[in-house]
Amino acid sequence: MHNTAGIIMTFLVLTNFMLLGFSRLSACIRIVALQGIAIGFLPVLLNNWNFEMHLVLFSIAIIGLKGIVFPLMLNKTLRELTTQHEVEPFIGYGISLIAGMAVFLTCMWLSSRFPFPAVMSPMVIPVAFFTIMSGLFLIISRKKALTQVLGYLVMENGIYVFGTSIAAKQPLVVELGILLDVFVAVFVMDIAIFHISREFEHTDVDKLDKLKG
Amino acid sequence: MNFGILLWVALLLPLAGCGICLLLRRPERILSFVCFVVVCTGIVDVITAGVVFSKNTIFTCGGWFYVDALSAYHLIVMALVFCLSSIYGRHYFDKEIIEGVFTVKTARRYGALWLASLATMTLVLVSNNLGIMWVGMETTTLVTAFLICIRKDKASIEGMWKYLIICSVGIAFAFMGTLFVAASTYKLHDSFSGGILWTQLRTVAGSLDSKLMRIGFIFIFVGYGTKAGLSPMHTWLPDAHSEAPSPVSAIFSGFMLNAALYCIMRYTSLIGLVPGNTNLSRDLFLVFGTLSIIVAAAFIISQHSLKRLLAYHSVEHLGIIAIGMGMGPLGIFAALFHTLNHSICKSLGFFCAGRLGKIYGSYDMRGMTGALKLSPVWGGGLLGSLFALIGIAPFALFMSEFLIVKAAISKNLIWVLVIFIAGSCVIFAAALKHSINVVYGKPPMPDFKPQRTSFADTGIVVFSLGVLLVLGLWMPDSLNEILYRAANIIEATGTVVSIVK
Repeated sequence: MHNTAGIIMTFLVLTNFMLLGFSRLSACIRIVALQGIAIGFLPVLLNNWNFEMHLVLFSIAIIGLKGIVFPLMLNKTLRELTTQHEVEPFIGYGISLIAGMAVFLTCMWLSSRFPFPAVMSPMVIPVAFFTIMSGLFLIISRKKALTQVLGYLVMENGIYVFGTSIAAKQPLVVELGILLDVFVAVFVMDIAIFHISREFEHTDVDKLDKLKG
Repeated sequence: MNFGILLWVALLLPLAGCGICLLLRRPERILSFVCFVVVCTGIVDVITAGVVFSKNTIFTCGGWFYVDALSAYHLIVMALVFCLSSIYGRHYFDKEIIEGVFTVKTARRYGALWLASLATMTLVLVSNNLGIMWVGMETTTLVTAFLICIRKDKASIEGMWKYLIICSVGIAFAFMGTLFVAASTYKLHDSFSGGILWTQLRTVAGSLDSKLMRIGFIFIFVGYGTKAGLSPMHTWLPDAHSEAPSPVSAIFSGFMLNAALYCIMRYTSLIGLVPGNTNLSRDLFLVFGTLSIIVAAAFIISQHSLKRLLAYHSVEHLGIIAIGMGMGPLGIFAALFHTLNHSICKSLGFFCAGRLGKIYGSYDMRGMTGALKLSPVWGGGLLGSLFALIGIAPFALFMSEFLIVKAAISKNLIWVLVIFIAGSCVIFAAALKHSINVVYGKPPMPDFKPQRTSFADTGIVVFSLGVLLVLGLWMPDSLNEILYRAANIIEATGTVVSIVK
């Protein structure tokens, strides 16, 4: 069981690095979807392969939403956009990867210093933090609006891993509410990208600079 | 008698209205309907608050919903701001409706989102489960995002995108914080069950893990602080406030910021009880509060857009409320009083700015001269609200700021006091210069005739200014009692001494 959790965590780390290094938006969408499916197994897994009804339902909800609905939605938006690539990000891919490495080590070091309650795998906390930081990094360092949404999703994935591993078990209603919020957030951002691309004929957020001062 | 039903009504009434909005066929009718639903919900909110203050706290739905003095007070403020804004919004779009820009589709979207935001903000206030509170707060971001770009032009879409991304990330941080708080209960797993209920956490606060609570509170402060517009996380605020239609700006400034701050207040009352963290909230409030005042002062000096000026005033006043929160019992009392005053005053400011902007066709203050001659009601309202905002004497904002100064002196927080006074003086001078230019002077169009205003519009201005004036001169005993009880909930360690003026 530790092994399975370890495999998922390793998978998360690898996908984070891929996101930091890839420029094709469609590939990034696919990677985020895979990440969503991987973490969908966590609720069942972290409760000792416990196939309780509500855990299974929750797992299915996550996998369905993050693995199927979001990628379909984002891919549809992507097809309507003029560019399929992240062009000239603020921070280049090579430097992004090196920064990712540094962030990963920092997360390892930081989480060893906090008194977290016992968790399933020693990897969980540092990987959760690293995923959150990767998401933030994508939001800050990339120019396309769609990449920012992906960054937000990655960040949510990280928070989710963190939540399932450390927080005391929450009632299902709360977890569903949170999931619903993420869904609506991505949905709203998706529509917003559509409006941006129609009004501006591009989706470069660095060119959204009319409002200042 | 079980008063829990009141909370359900307050939550479900706007949601039902939301659905009905989508069925109505004329923009005017939708806007009137929105007014009707908001006023009804407002009455329910006030009755709820009345029950809480006269009888006891409302605790229902297995402890998931809970209204005490603090949330009841915020319910009253919310009802007030929403009622005023909806009545104002009824005629705000008149010109667009005639021109055919504000179509039925737009009106439906506007009405449904407006009522949905009322429902979500109510959810934030009434939920006892901190997870649900977070869900409510995040939902306010999502439903209000499209209220900003009702017009769908470049600037408003830009403002909406910044608001959406910055606030979503901020609120995600607050979620991290909530998780940390949930994790801090791990020592008492046996006796502790069923989610993170605020009332439950409060009773066991002494035995929560202090290190996890500390990290959690910092995350929560930064997260909800983003939504509350505290500097340096305020960057979305001027863009969103300036681009949104004025009724929406009014609820943003008048209540959404308060709702976010309310979430921090809830956690403040917990963190003070956790061993080793008694000073954490004070320090954070003071640092972020003073920073907000400094940043707001810097941007107000060189501001040309009237709505952005008002938006930076929001940053300033949230900063003032924050420093009040960091100053012990008297400061918390004053801060709560200031939230009410600021909400009324800032809504009025946005109301006037919106209508004047329509008359002049822009919000550039260099071109908006002679507002008082052009429209005595809106010009006068703007003058009054700007004077109140910069803290001129008989208005209520002066009184609450005065109480904060008093609290600062009694707590010996000289450095905060110096920054507060210096910032206020800079803002006073800068805003006075701007406002005199706008209100007096010669109107740009030579053949102007004074604009007529409807009875309802005049009523809104007179009512708001009247309340600000009355509260500045005399505080009713009942309000004193309400504030006193609400402050006692936040100030967990000591008791707030009743303030008799």
